[in-house]
Amino acid sequence: MDLFIQRCFDGLFNGAIYASLALALVMLFRATGLLNFALGEIGMVGGYTSLVMLTPAVGVSAAAAGGGGFRFPVAGTSFASRLPGHPYPVLVAIAVGVLTSALLGVLLQRLVLYRLRNRSDFVKVNATIALLLALTGLVSEVWGGAAQRYPSVFPNEPTDYVNVFGGRLRYTTLGAWAVQLFLLLLLGVLINRTKTGLAFRAITSNAEAASLMGIRVQRTLAIGWAVSCGIGALAVSLVAASTILRPGMMVTVLILAFAAATIGGLDSPKGAVVGGVIVGLTQSLVPGYTPFPSELAVVPPFLVMTILLMFRPTGLFGTSRVVRV
Amino acid sequence: MSRPPQSQNSRARLAATAAALGAAVLLPVIVNRGLLEDFSRVFVLILAVLGVNLLTSTTGLISLGHGVFVGIGAFAMANLLDENIPVIVALVLATAVAGFAGMIVSLPALRVRGPYLALITLGLSVMFPPIGRRLGKITGSALGRSVEVDGFDPPDFLRLDERPHIWNYVVCLTVVAAWFLLTRNLLNSRIGRAIRATKDHEHAAAAFGINISMAKTGTFGISAAMAGTAGALQAIIDPYLNTNDYDWTLSLKLYTSAVIGGLGSLLGAVVGAVIYVGLPWLNEVLGLLDSPSLAFGLGLLVVIMVAPNGVVGLLARFKKKPRSSQDGD
Repeated sequence: MDLFIQRCFDGLFNGAIYASLALALVMLFRATGLLNFALGEIGMVGGYTSLVMLTPAVGVSAAAAGGGGFRFPVAGTSFASRLPGHPYPVLVAIAVGVLTSALLGVLLQRLVLYRLRNRSDFVKVNATIALLLALTGLVSEVWGGAAQRYPSVFPNEPTDYVNVFGGRLRYTTLGAWAVQLFLLLLLGVLINRTKTGLAFRAITSNAEAASLMGIRVQRTLAIGWAVSCGIGALAVSLVAASTILRPGMMVTVLILAFAAATIGGLDSPKGAVVGGVIVGLTQSLVPGYTPFPSELAVVPPFLVMTILLMFRPTGLFGTSRVVRV
Repeated sequence: MSRPPQSQNSRARLAATAAALGAAVLLPVIVNRGLLEDFSRVFVLILAVLGVNLLTSTTGLISLGHGVFVGIGAFAMANLLDENIPVIVALVLATAVAGFAGMIVSLPALRVRGPYLALITLGLSVMFPPIGRRLGKITGSALGRSVEVDGFDPPDFLRLDERPHIWNYVVCLTVVAAWFLLTRNLLNSRIGRAIRATKDHEHAAAAFGINISMAKTGTFGISAAMAGTAGALQAIIDPYLNTNDYDWTLSLKLYTSAVIGGLGSLLGAVVGAVIYVGLPWLNEVLGLLDSPSLAFGLGLLVVIMVAPNGVVGLLARFKKKPRSSQDGD
């Protein structure tokens, strides 16, 4: 029983990460009707920016860095060290990273997706696939392919846990879920209680009519991209703190987040969180209780998603779309 | 690839095709061994890119997992050769295995719309290397495995005993040409028209009695089979396989090359394969980037923005009479 609880807790930690990225995907889907394959990589740019912000420049002693372990020189730190007060505390650094990703998102929306607004969904998806490849290349070009250690915001020592029903509930898990619930609340308010949220729905349903009704389409879309990509950077910092920061790591995480969002129904924030929990739990429980090898933990959530899609194409909480032929 | 051969262009196209074929046949006489092997590799890649091209241009589905089918074809080939199955039979069987795998993967796509297939196939290509590493008997785990190509000697009358690379080249060329012909004829047949109708208007096609599921599964199967053949031929040319070589970047680059080259035309697939090989090569020669991913991504972006029909569409624009090719949208 203890082991079961423990596995659930482990799954819930990953679930929180998938849920937050799934939320970002759902957010953008609500705002633009687009699945953003580049979300993880846009987040990576923010993640590495925050690493630059909190890493002292080469030459400053490792003791001042507040951590030993392996650490490769991080590109850009010597430039960033000219800023007053560098290196920054983790929280500030993550905030800077989130802002960077949000800005990058807005920029890409302006430069790329806005120009494609009259083209088909196929072309738009192609554009995000192109961005995925280009940003993966860019990140490994600038910061190299080496894995970097990334500090955690929450207490992350081996003793930092509370005993719940015999399982160790780590503070990082609690913290990740606190972030998660905060995001859910924030997005819930944004989508359902603000004029911007209403504008999202209007634009998704008919952009031209929306702009004729006085909705500022450009600004609304920019907000959608900024929030979504900012969450992407936040998710990167959570993933990196629990494992390691290295280029390309977000592709696996992103497809699991896609799976979570799909299970939840793509247009429902609530569904994204439920989907995240389902994905996280299948990932930790299935290899735990079946002969399924643990290094293939990516596979079971995908099977769940595929099977669910066959019986419920709109996911658990999704609204089915009626298309006029 | 999808137009009936009636236009005025057709004679010029026929001449161009004949010239290209002639050049391809003469190539072994002109170039040295290393270059010829490179040409074999390009021909094989044309096949893989053509598979992606065919799928996306005829059904509008996006597959980010064709690298997996290349891998399946390659490992199927290696294992069939272990059983001392003749090379040609093994080639056909490996193709069939990859095609069958493709049909299974495409099944979920029949139920859902939009870019879900892209997502499922991207997931597949992320999962392929770790799954492959687990199946050590088939793939040789993390170390990879070699391919034992025995008894694949050229027939006596060709007098190629000392030059297996030329024989490999001839086989690659023949197989690729066979696939080209097959695709062309298929697309101009009733089946091809049904598949295209599915893309143009799914509901209308269904109303006319076209089995949408069959059309999609069939097309995906064929395009995966093409990728599988490409993998099997690769296993003959470079008889060393490692699952890590078939990761998601391979699939993404294949897809990107297909779109950059130009969807909906055989020439586009050729251009796509040249880009697939040429971009990393150019990058290496110029010493610009550590990995060519950035170049592929930017290339695709530029093509989307300025040339909806890819490089081939861009070339057609410069012609006197603009060709009425399918729009990239």
